[in-house]
Amino acid sequence: MPVLEELRQAVVDGQAKAAVARATQGLEEGIPAEVLLRDGLISAMQEVGRLFEEGEIFVPEMLVSARAMNATLVVLKPLLATEGSEARSEGKVVIGTVQGDLHEIGKNLVAIMLEGSGFEVVDLGTDVSPERFLEAAEAGADVVAMSALLTTTMTNMKAVVEALGRAGLRDKVRIIVGGAPITDRFASEIGADGYAPDASKAVRKVRELLAVKA
Amino acid sequence: MGTLAGSETTQATSSGPRAGAALTSRQRVEKALAHEEPDRVPLDLGGSMTTGIHASALYRLRQGLGLEAPGTPVRVIEPFQMLGEVGPDLIEALGVDVVGVNRLNNIFGFPNEDWKPWTLFDGTPVLVPGRFNTEPGPEGDILMYPEGDHSVPPSARMPKGGFYFDALNRQEPLDDEHLEVEDNMEEFGLISDADLAHVAQEVERLWPTGKAILLNLGDTGFGDVALVPAMQRKLVKGIRDVEEWYVSLSLRPGYVRDVFERQCEIGIANLARAYEVVGDKVTAVFVTGTDFGAQQGPLASPRTYRNLFEPFHARVNSWVHAHTGWKTFIHSCGSVRALLDDIVDAGFDALNPVQTSAAGMGPEDLKQSYGDRLTFWGGGIDTQRVLPFGTPDEVRAMVHDRMRIFGRGGGFVFNTVHNVQAGVPTDNLLALYQAVADFRAY
Repeated sequence: MPVLEELRQAVVDGQAKAAVARATQGLEEGIPAEVLLRDGLISAMQEVGRLFEEGEIFVPEMLVSARAMNATLVVLKPLLATEGSEARSEGKVVIGTVQGDLHEIGKNLVAIMLEGSGFEVVDLGTDVSPERFLEAAEAGADVVAMSALLTTTMTNMKAVVEALGRAGLRDKVRIIVGGAPITDRFASEIGADGYAPDASKAVRKVRELLAVKA
Repeated sequence: MGTLAGSETTQATSSGPRAGAALTSRQRVEKALAHEEPDRVPLDLGGSMTTGIHASALYRLRQGLGLEAPGTPVRVIEPFQMLGEVGPDLIEALGVDVVGVNRLNNIFGFPNEDWKPWTLFDGTPVLVPGRFNTEPGPEGDILMYPEGDHSVPPSARMPKGGFYFDALNRQEPLDDEHLEVEDNMEEFGLISDADLAHVAQEVERLWPTGKAILLNLGDTGFGDVALVPAMQRKLVKGIRDVEEWYVSLSLRPGYVRDVFERQCEIGIANLARAYEVVGDKVTAVFVTGTDFGAQQGPLASPRTYRNLFEPFHARVNSWVHAHTGWKTFIHSCGSVRALLDDIVDAGFDALNPVQTSAAGMGPEDLKQSYGDRLTFWGGGIDTQRVLPFGTPDEVRAMVHDRMRIFGRGGGFVFNTVHNVQAGVPTDNLLALYQAVADFRAY
C-alpha cells in the first residue's frame, strides 16, 4: 500500500502538509484510521526514535516530525473515536515539568514519542505542582512522567513521589523521571521507578516498566 | 575577612600593575589564552552572563566570607538569570582576574541604574534596577515587562518559588509565505553613540584595575535562544518562539541564513566601532552563547553547525583576529564534543562553559585532544551534581583535579561550568573558592 509508506515517510521527513494529504488520501481509499495510525504514524515515530538514537537526526528534525504527526492526528483522532479503537491504548501516561520549572521542549519530545508509540498522554504542561500531578494520577494513570532542567527544581520531583505515596497510589503507578541534570542514581534516591536520558529511550523505559510488548 | 584571607588572597590582590609584583590579572589571562602557564590559573567569576553567580548564591558567598553585615542586599546585574554583581571587594577576596563590559541596557531593555530593594522567593535581599517593574502573575508567579513598561504585555515570567525568569511565548501566527527577514532584525542595528560611550567609559573605568576585560556587545549570538524571544522589545515579529526557532533550523534554513547574514554585517560593524574607542584594552570578546549541546549529544547536527553557523562564526573570528588583539570566546552548553573540530576551524580561541557532566566531555580527553588549540574557559567544577549536592570534600577534590588537568600548559581560565546557580550550600561555595586559592598556583 504505497499511500501508507508515503505517509510514514512524510512524517519521518517532517513534511506536515504531505503527511496530512497522504492520510486524507488513505482515508478516501478506505484505509481505517487505526491502520493509518499504526502503520503510518506510530511506525514513523519508531523510525524517528531510531534515527535519533543513532545520531542521524537531532532535536530540530525530531520536533519537525512531531509536528507532522500532530497535524495528521488532528485528522485521524475524530475517526479513531468513532471506530472505538481507543481501548487499544498501550497505557496512560501523565506527564509534566515539575513545579518552578518552565522548560518544556524535552518534556514535549517525550510526550510526542509516547503518543507516537500508542500511549495515551495527558500533558499537564510546565510548573506543575505535586497536587496537580496527584489529581491527574487519581483520575487514572499507569505512569507519571516528570521532567526538570534545573538543579533548583529537580528536587521537587521527590515531593510528587511522596504525594503519590501518601495518597496510596504508589503501587498503582510507575514513575519515570528525566531532564538534563537527572541520573539513574537520582531516580532511585527519590524513589522513582526509572530514568531515561532521551525521548526515544523514555518510550522503551515506559514499555519496560509496564511490560508492554514493543 | 573570611576563610579565604591568607597568603594566596594577599597575592591575589596584587593584580594591579605594580613594580616587582606577580603578573597582573590581564597578563595572567593573556598568557593562559596564549597557551602558556602563567603564575597561577586565572579565575573568572562575573566576567560574563555565563560565568557569573546567581544573586542568592552570591549573597551566601558574601555572607560566608564575612564581607558584610547580614541582610545587606546584593545587586542583580542580569535580571533574566538573576545574576549578582561580583563587586570589587569580592574580586579582591577571591583573586578574580576577569571583569565584563556590556551594553547600556540589560536583556529586558533597561539600564542597570536607580537601584531599589527587592526580595527573591527564597528571602534573599537584593537590589534591582529602577525599571525592574514586575507584576504578580495569576499563579503566584512574577511577570516582567520589556523596558519595564506595563502598558504592553509581559515578556518573561518567574514561576512561584523560582529563581530565574523565562521568556513568555509571544509568537504571532507565522505565515511562511510572508516571512520577512526584517522582522527578526528589529532589535539589531548600528550601536548608538550613547551605547558606545557607555562601553568606552566602562573600559576606561576598569582598565586601571589591571583586570582582563571581556567585552560582550550581544550582536553576534546567531540564534542564541536566550536572545531570540527579544524580551526587551515591546512587540515582536518574526520567529520568536524558541521551539519554532529550533524547528526553523530544519524547516527554514534559508531564512535563518538570511537573518544571520544581516546580523553578521551589523555585528562586525559594531565590533569595529567598539574597537575604535576601546582598542586593545579588551582582552577577549564574547562572540556567541548559542547552545549547540544537550546533555547526551549535540542539539543540532554537525552538518547544521557547519552549514548554518560556522560560516558566520568564522567571519566574525577572522575579522577580530585580523583587526584587533582580542581573543574570541564561544559559550555553548552541553555535549559539543562532536562539534569541536568545527568550532576550532571557525577560529574560536576559548570555549565555555566546558560542560564536563555532558556525554563525551571528559576533561582528560578534551585537554588531550583540543588543549593546544582551545582555551578551556570553564569546566572547573560540575554544577549539576557536585557543587549543589556534593560534600565540601568532593568539591575540593574536583577543583584539584580540574586545575591539574585543564591547567597543564596554560589554556585554562577557571570558571564553574556555567553560572553558579541558586541553592548551592554556603559550605560548598566556600570550599570551592578555598580550593581555587589552594590549587591554582603553577
